[in-house]
Amino acid sequence: MSTTPSSAPEPTGSATRRRFLAVSSVAAGGVALAACGGGSGGGGGTKDSTLPGIGNNGKIGGGRRGDAADQLFLAGFQFSPPTNFNTFAGAPAWPAANNVAQYVYETLLRFDIVSGELKPGLAADYKVDGTSSVSLTLQDGVTWSDGTALTADDVLYTFQLGKIDPTLTVASFWVEADDITASGDTITVAINQDRKNVDMILQQLAVQFILPKAVFEKVASETGNKLASWETTELLGSGPYTLEKADQTQIILARNEKYWGQKFYGGLPAPTKIIHPIFKSNEDGNLKFQNGELDVMQQFVPQIWKMWESGKPVGTYVKDKPYYVPGSMPMFIFNTTRGALADPAVRRAVAFAIDYASIAETAMSGYSADVQASLIIPGGAEDKWFDGDRAKADGWSFDATKAEKTLTDAGYAKGSDGIYAKDGQRLGPWKLITPQGWTDWNAALEIVAKNLKAIGIDAATNFPQQAQVTTSVANGDFDMCCWYVSGTNPATPWQRFSDVMSNVELAPLGQTAFRNYGRWTNDQVNDLLEAAAAAPDDGSKKQALTALDDMYRQQAPAIPLMYRPDEFFEFNASNWTNFPTQANDYAPPMFRGAGNDWLFKIKKIEA
Amino acid sequence: MSTPNVSSVATADEATAPRSNPFRSLNFSARFWVALGFVVLVLLLGVAGYFYPTSSSEKVGSLYDPPGNGLLFGTDNFGHDVLAVLMAGTRTSLVIGLVAGIIATTIGVAIGLLAGYVGGWLEELLMGITNVVLAIPSIIVLILISISLPKSTMWSLAVVIGITSWPWTARAVRAQASSVATREHIDVARLSGARLGGILVRDVLPYILSYAVMAFVLQVSGAILAEAALSMLGLGPAGADSLGTQLHWALAFQAVASGAWWAFLPPTIVLTLVSFGFLLLQASLDEVFNPRLRRGKRKQMKQTQARRLAEAQAAAATRPVGGERAGVGAGRARTAHEGGRS
Repeated sequence: MSTTPSSAPEPTGSATRRRFLAVSSVAAGGVALAACGGGSGGGGGTKDSTLPGIGNNGKIGGGRRGDAADQLFLAGFQFSPPTNFNTFAGAPAWPAANNVAQYVYETLLRFDIVSGELKPGLAADYKVDGTSSVSLTLQDGVTWSDGTALTADDVLYTFQLGKIDPTLTVASFWVEADDITASGDTITVAINQDRKNVDMILQQLAVQFILPKAVFEKVASETGNKLASWETTELLGSGPYTLEKADQTQIILARNEKYWGQKFYGGLPAPTKIIHPIFKSNEDGNLKFQNGELDVMQQFVPQIWKMWESGKPVGTYVKDKPYYVPGSMPMFIFNTTRGALADPAVRRAVAFAIDYASIAETAMSGYSADVQASLIIPGGAEDKWFDGDRAKADGWSFDATKAEKTLTDAGYAKGSDGIYAKDGQRLGPWKLITPQGWTDWNAALEIVAKNLKAIGIDAATNFPQQAQVTTSVANGDFDMCCWYVSGTNPATPWQRFSDVMSNVELAPLGQTAFRNYGRWTNDQVNDLLEAAAAAPDDGSKKQALTALDDMYRQQAPAIPLMYRPDEFFEFNASNWTNFPTQANDYAPPMFRGAGNDWLFKIKKIEA
Repeated sequence: MSTPNVSSVATADEATAPRSNPFRSLNFSARFWVALGFVVLVLLLGVAGYFYPTSSSEKVGSLYDPPGNGLLFGTDNFGHDVLAVLMAGTRTSLVIGLVAGIIATTIGVAIGLLAGYVGGWLEELLMGITNVVLAIPSIIVLILISISLPKSTMWSLAVVIGITSWPWTARAVRAQASSVATREHIDVARLSGARLGGILVRDVLPYILSYAVMAFVLQVSGAILAEAALSMLGLGPAGADSLGTQLHWALAFQAVASGAWWAFLPPTIVLTLVSFGFLLLQASLDEVFNPRLRRGKRKQMKQTQARRLAEAQAAAATRPVGGERAGVGAGRARTAHEGGRS
């Protein structure tokens, strides 16, 4: 593993597609809290062990026999037959989708969600020059899996694709960057001097897969620069694995025995193959996982502690509640253009009315810590920006009487139907929307609807299909919705403030917005955001972020409902041990970014 | 009505048993009482919700607390008392079933009567429409309509189910109505100047009323199942508990995999009881209304015949000389038995 010291937060970015998948099984994570240890139980051929990185109950399995003993079974990323491995397609198959895992394609830098560091990837190190440029040096001897060299040319071409076809996700790089140049193995990114947003640049460098120029140049000419339309079942990457086989039931990656990074990572990864079986639902996968037929996965399991309490060698990064490292916060977003929702007092009253503890305990199966009145996630990579005292002092928490008081203070009075109203403007009927099947969000909104009805706001849930909700949210065609904003990455919390509050290029109702779906307006917020983005040092950055957070609490354009992990990371030590855990924290509990570190370190159990 | 078709010899003690009981004379079989028992049980469960101390939206525990601690069935994924939710859900499901059943039966009977009685191009048209609707799988129509509804409440759901499940009733009623339409009393009514509506309601409907009642019972049970199917897909009434939404949440929160049987078994059992109870009720009502299906009859015949045989034998034994009379009695009994079978 590398030790290039660097401190910068991490990218999260364009994870929408895979987040859709991940989210359909969502749950939340939080900071370490109460204790609720792994129980013990007998059975299933598991034996006690003192090895690191094993089940939360201290058990391991007996190992597999035959070829399967050297293979890693993984799930939670692909739920439909893989048809297209074009990373730019609408829904690329795993692992070609951007920023899911560095198994075939790799990125220049790799984000660590626990420490907030940017670790070296294809780039051996990086240097930030104030707010003017970022320069990176490529690792020595990097090759594609066909043996040809990966050069600075490939890197430049990858980012230039954003100019060749501006509809690609990589195009957002050019919002923040002016230019990208290379001299030998050194690549320099000139930062857009109007925005000076270093973190967003680093975020891009940490999520964008570097692609082979030779392949994509051909594709660009064949498709007339419409790269998203290209269909392929082949993958040429620089990573430790190659795509061996993909069919209706599984995707198989085979180890690249000539991987360039053997020196850098200290050898080849342990599994000879990575096999991702394709399940129709979470439940199928969870069952296989429980039985040890999957080694590691990214799926929501309600009450996962029952697995180790019943004696299975199942483990999570954090041994006690909330078991996962928090990495994202689903937001309850108000459409501030609709009636009384334009009134901050109403929005704050709603914030007081919601029983966050219930949501964390039931909808999120206890995987979320107490939600704070802030757009910064306490704990993990963002903790250093969080000001807990201010969040408590002028924020909110569940208090129904305070909610009603906020409304009456603002001049609202209950009508004969038990619903508050002011000047003929009734609080409701409002619909709370989120996609059907995103079960924890569905359950959370059910709880919110009940809470709101209890204090005298007329609200009911409605769960249309995902595509419909996506359009409604982006077009501002909703009353209130539960939707996601940036998860922890090198550019958060700034990026999250921008997602929720930014008035830059504010899309009118009926047109697609990419941020601030609630169309909340304010004439100071853009300046504050700019100041925070361009802050030259951590001190002034924290000050600017706190100012933004203060404004957020006053205005409450959206409310966090819970914290959930960026990725669920759970393992079954029935064939492999030495998975990363809090006590064995050589790698972060993730699949993307720095999450490939543990692939090189897990150890096979000899059957 | 249901007296066995036995001629008058040796009637004295036969009359005392079956005829003295009015229910017996309606020929309600044991199966009817069992079915009624199921249905009443479910009704009671629904009504009991009004007296149960815990509200179905009150959080009394955590995610899937097992039974115990004063909670008969533990808690569901929201931490609500499963028993309270079950009672509220049963009530909602019954109301949806009843409303949808009334709507479907009304539409079906109206269209069937009109088509069957009037005949001609109107019949062709109505039955054409009915056949088209019948050919489209109603669950698909149901899902499509439910998805496009801006807001789903139990009433909208009941209406949607009602207006998609009438076709088979219409077809069956049409067949019966067109047979009734050829009878003489209809001619009499027509000659005496009765209007179409009057004839349909007063002269045709009564003849198929028994059938309509049975169709209604089936529609109710079908609607309850349709609601459960829709709700399990997540298209159930927003903010209301029903048996289907209960199953939906149990599925969504993987109750089966978590071993939380108390979250999905109770609604499943109640649903089974409802549909089984209503089906059984329909079948037993059929026996009441349709003389050909009377079950008790054959048994009664056999009993009668056996008794007569015994009497005859007894008579023959006591009066070996008077063989002629005994022979006559036995012969009659056999004849009656055969007649009853045909």
